[in-house]
Amino acid sequence: MARGKRKFEHSMIQKPGRRLMHKVPLRFVQNKVSGGGARSVNTSLALIPLIDFFVVVVLFLLMSFSASGEIPVDKNTKLPSAENTLDMIDAPVVAITGTNILVDGSPAGSTRPIEDSGRLQKIDDLHNILKNKRELWKQLNPKAESPGVVVMQVDHRVSALVVKSVFQTAAFAGYPNVSFMVGQLPKTKKGGEH
Amino acid sequence: MGGVSVDSGGKSGRRSVDSELNLIPMIDLFVVCVLFLIMTAVWSQMARIEANAQVPGPPRTDEEVEKVEPEKMLTVEMKQDDRFVLIWKSGATVHATSEVPRKGQPITLGTETVMRYPDLATEIAKQWKEYGSHQNDNDRKVDQAIISVDNRAPFSDIIAVIDAIYTLKRTYKGAEINAFQVTFSAR
Repeated sequence: MARGKRKFEHSMIQKPGRRLMHKVPLRFVQNKVSGGGARSVNTSLALIPLIDFFVVVVLFLLMSFSASGEIPVDKNTKLPSAENTLDMIDAPVVAITGTNILVDGSPAGSTRPIEDSGRLQKIDDLHNILKNKRELWKQLNPKAESPGVVVMQVDHRVSALVVKSVFQTAAFAGYPNVSFMVGQLPKTKKGGEH
Repeated sequence: MGGVSVDSGGKSGRRSVDSELNLIPMIDLFVVCVLFLIMTAVWSQMARIEANAQVPGPPRTDEEVEKVEPEKMLTVEMKQDDRFVLIWKSGATVHATSEVPRKGQPITLGTETVMRYPDLATEIAKQWKEYGSHQNDNDRKVDQAIISVDNRAPFSDIIAVIDAIYTLKRTYKGAEINAFQVTFSAR
């Protein structure tokens, strides 16, 4: 190897080039493996930006992760929104979808008789199902006092008559604390701006 | 194979101290984490707004009925299309009646338009300072607001009015709570 070239190799700044198999002393092996002067087909992937991206995505998703899960909302039900709200709780869900009343997904009556009569009515099926749920809760928690909370999932177009009827039926079945499921509106600033 | 080489010498025939971190398992773990979190993510944020029903219990014969002075309650009537009527009364005694124009402030969120009643909230807050029974920081009880609503009114209007009532806050032992508890009129 030429003297000048050796000097160049030991300097701090080295000539960029192929490094594959550079420890093999045989020149022809180096040439064969590293492409023999042709453009190498080996490309290095920059993994650091990929890992950075994954870290950011994982952190974001972990921060927005909800362990309590999602309460399913019927796709035809559009909930109203409110600003002064509380966090969701684990309680029986009474949903009004179309003309059906559901308790935790099981049918519990219809709104048709209420709309036809045009006055407040007790819904017997709903009353019985909620009462059974309350009794079951009491059997499972004999020493605890029932919170009597039920969550109502009501479409924004449902009439007040139906809402009041379901509300009162739930109250008479032992669930006087009714919560309405709503979407969360952003909090208004002091000046009234969002 | 993907790896990170930590170059730290290894010249002149000595054993190289280069070490290569194997990044593939780490990337695999990240991919699994991302997929799991995306699949279990809750994108729609749900909340709740409270109401309470005053259901009288069965009369108890073993207890002497104590005569309690009826408390002042706020009734919010939303039976007219153009105004709310605020009535403060205790029992059958009416203390004050006033009207608030039903001037909604629409808020557009994406494709959704939500109606809010800031004027109603302001008027309720003003009147509560004058007529509210439970304003003390040590008072655990809160004032009662009764919503008297037309049977044909949509549910979104009821929520807008409840939201306006809950705009007013007070403190109980330093913690912020709603100044009112809301219920419905049975009529």
